[in-house]
Amino acid sequence: MANNQKKGFFLTRWFRRAFMGSDQEVRDIMQEEQVQTPFKTMAKNFFAKHTVRIGLGGFILVFLFVLIGPRYWVLDLSEQDSTLINLPPSSDFMSVPKEMQGNIVDLAAGKTYGIGLDKNGKLHTWGYTRITEKVNLANIPDEVQAANIVQLAAGEDHCVALDDNGQIYVWGNTRLQQGKFSSDMTKAMKNAAKGESDPSWDIIQIEASNQFSAALSSDGTLYLWGNTNMADIKLRSQYQGNIAKVALTANEYICLMKDGTVAYTGYKDKGSPFAAIPAGLEGKTVVDIAATSGSMAALTSDGEVFVWGSSTAGEKNVPAFSGKPVAIYGGRYHYDALMEDGSVVAWGNNKYHQVDVPGGLSGITKIYTGNFANYALDASGAVHTWGLKGFTLGTDNLGRDLLTRIVNGGRVTMTVGAISVVIATIIGVLLGGLAGYFGGKADLLIMRIAEIVGGLPFIPFAMILSAVIGTRLDPTQRMYLIMVVLGILSWVPTCRLVRAQILAQREMEYVTAAKAMGIKEWQIVFRHILPNVISLLLVSMTLDFATCMLTESTLSYLGFGIPLPTPTWGNLLTGANNSVVIQQYWWQWVFPAAIFGVCTICINMIGDGLRDAVDPKSQER
Amino acid sequence: MGKYILKRLGYIVVVFLIVSLLMYSLYNLIPSDPARQELEPQRRNMKPDEYEQAYQRLRQQLGLDDPLIVRYLRWIGLWKGLDGRFDGLLEGNFGYSNLYKQNVVDVIKAPMSNTIFINIFSTILSLGITIPLGIYCAVHKGKRFDQATQVVTMLGYSIPIYIIALVFMFLFCIVWRIFPVMGTKTAGATYTSSWDEFVDKLYHITLPVIVMTFGSLGGMTRYVRSAMIDALSMDYVRTARAKGVKEKVVIYSHAWRNALLPVITSILGWFLSIFSGSVIIENTFSLNGMGKLYWQGLNNLDFELVLAIQMFYSVVSLVGSLLIDISYGLVDPRVRVDK
Repeated sequence: MANNQKKGFFLTRWFRRAFMGSDQEVRDIMQEEQVQTPFKTMAKNFFAKHTVRIGLGGFILVFLFVLIGPRYWVLDLSEQDSTLINLPPSSDFMSVPKEMQGNIVDLAAGKTYGIGLDKNGKLHTWGYTRITEKVNLANIPDEVQAANIVQLAAGEDHCVALDDNGQIYVWGNTRLQQGKFSSDMTKAMKNAAKGESDPSWDIIQIEASNQFSAALSSDGTLYLWGNTNMADIKLRSQYQGNIAKVALTANEYICLMKDGTVAYTGYKDKGSPFAAIPAGLEGKTVVDIAATSGSMAALTSDGEVFVWGSSTAGEKNVPAFSGKPVAIYGGRYHYDALMEDGSVVAWGNNKYHQVDVPGGLSGITKIYTGNFANYALDASGAVHTWGLKGFTLGTDNLGRDLLTRIVNGGRVTMTVGAISVVIATIIGVLLGGLAGYFGGKADLLIMRIAEIVGGLPFIPFAMILSAVIGTRLDPTQRMYLIMVVLGILSWVPTCRLVRAQILAQREMEYVTAAKAMGIKEWQIVFRHILPNVISLLLVSMTLDFATCMLTESTLSYLGFGIPLPTPTWGNLLTGANNSVVIQQYWWQWVFPAAIFGVCTICINMIGDGLRDAVDPKSQER
Repeated sequence: MGKYILKRLGYIVVVFLIVSLLMYSLYNLIPSDPARQELEPQRRNMKPDEYEQAYQRLRQQLGLDDPLIVRYLRWIGLWKGLDGRFDGLLEGNFGYSNLYKQNVVDVIKAPMSNTIFINIFSTILSLGITIPLGIYCAVHKGKRFDQATQVVTMLGYSIPIYIIALVFMFLFCIVWRIFPVMGTKTAGATYTSSWDEFVDKLYHITLPVIVMTFGSLGGMTRYVRSAMIDALSMDYVRTARAKGVKEKVVIYSHAWRNALLPVITSILGWFLSIFSGSVIIENTFSLNGMGKLYWQGLNNLDFELVLAIQMFYSVVSLVGSLLIDISYGLVDPRVRVDK
């Protein structure tokens, strides 16, 4: 046994010797003599510094974030959503208050918020309820708090509530007539307040959408009010009195008639895709209707679902149901269907996971859905939610997720920075090498060129290059253009550095030796001298990397770099220089600025540490 | 010294001609046809061949068919124009701005004074701060104050100036409400005296100047500090100390005068970057300056205006380098003797 072990040990040693260099014994002698390769000394000096370790750690974190992040936060350049603009960092869009769990009477899902009514008659709001600086949906008016509310509806920027006395309340943004009832309605409400019963004012359904609302009475009378400029909220008189249910899209509405047919009852029924009710519905009894922002759906008594309208996000791809749906509900770009067995099927756009119904849902009795949020109520009264919880870093002025844009913008900025540094270094080393080694006329010419290029004001010159050449290019080509422009304008310091180093190295013995051996001159420059300069070059490349990133972002900030909608850390901050953004939408500039600042600071820390490690003389500083 | 300056002047003229030729050719890359532009309104009233004739005639009149070098020389004012006069950049004709429908000279007068005002202000301020700070840090190397300054200056040169501007705007304009967010004068203000006007202008440009100064603190302070440390580690400093020379004299007379050489070199680069920086600052604060005008011109493809401003920047950088060269000659006797 012992023999075997020894043999094995010997073999490993032998193996190690063959592939991993000298033996431990030999190295011991080296250590005794304190002999280290220059590279090892550099590495030791480099890692000994606190700031370097912090900088390296920080940079690696940011780098990995930017490298791996785009896989999870995929960039969609065409992305924008008017309902999601300027949202602050949040994750509470669907966090139903604890005291509501188990005793929900009614619930309504709004744009980015929810509003709920519990069994004690108390109203709760959650999520992002602020509409403007002054208007906040969470400020429920006192009269609403005092009234005995029975039903709720949540629209884009206003809420509607109905009390047991037949009164309808509207709060939120009411500047666009969201709260302006027709004379019929005011009269009916006055009568209801006096206690007179009126069959045409026995409200069974209230709905709210984008700046308009609807109320439906049990006798089939529909009332519509709100911003008439936006929405088609007129009703053809032949339908009045026969309506059983109403569903609202962003700017239209659709009615389910008492006889089980579906009708577009508004005035804009000529040529509108919404009025083109599918032929397949003819002769079938419709039991439920629903609407997304741009499409309408009807569920027939035999469990078939028909979708029509201007569907853009796959609302029309109705899946094959395993069971029979009994009710359908519409969000902004998706539908939910409640099955007979209490399970839920959803289809449509899944950008914010609004179609990812949690597994194991059963015994669902009612679903509330709106925009990107879904609330499913089971028999025990517990709420299950799925959909858009919120944005970790908020959204920008077009409703785009800031986190996605920061991650992808970082990738662009870093790529542009890295490639322009490589271009600048190649030019700088080539010209600097030529000038330094050959001297004379070549040196004079190159250094004069360097002086001219270095003397040009950087930002204005890069701007004019980008503007003149960039107009004829597409965004990708423009990105390459920026890399080349940055490279061409920033090679001068590298060139000077290489030249100065080579001037010093040229007089050394090993160059004389190489010359004596008859080695070609360009080989002496690039294969003998350059390796001795490489460590200093590395330092300048690191520091230039930060500078190039800064310049790229500055150009993009001014609108002459990478054009929108491609994000970079620079153009994320374009337009941030006004007091509204700085103060109210602070997340739109604080986060990009912070990560960019951290990144460049870390790179500069690494560069400084590297310089100290490479040049021991500077350590005394 | 006189010969040296003369030599530098000659060099600068050559560089100016090269840069302006470069810029002019770049400007000519833009596909535009002034002759067609001018004829366009009358096109409907003309027959096609009549139009073609008029077009060709106008092209000749405007000299569009001449070689690039001739057009360049005409533009710069070294070649006889079509009316037989020298009328170019050197004669003071900077072209016509399409955007403002005015001669460029008239357009850039006010912004130029603003830009120069801001830049000179912040140059004085930042040199006044960085040099004493750098010397102090070098003398008290490794102390706590020095370390703190190192951290702050690192922030100053790592963070882009527009982010610094945003942070300062947030603090000074929104949280503390000391300065206005943007503009060079109070909206709708009528001044009773030029002093009031001056004070109002000063009030508006204070924050931009602070931001510019802060942004340039980082690099310069570090540069002064390291140059000073190098100088302080020299043998002559030790000799001076050993002789018993007062520490103040050692620092300001022996060390600082030698540290000045690399500092002056770096001031050139910094002087250029401050004009680049003012493009960003003027846009961020909506100041009526050359940078803002340049940005507007580029965005509206008003290239005669852009070209004129670009020439202004080039001249500034050349004059800057000349000044640096002269002061180099003043400080370093070797330069005077050698060249």
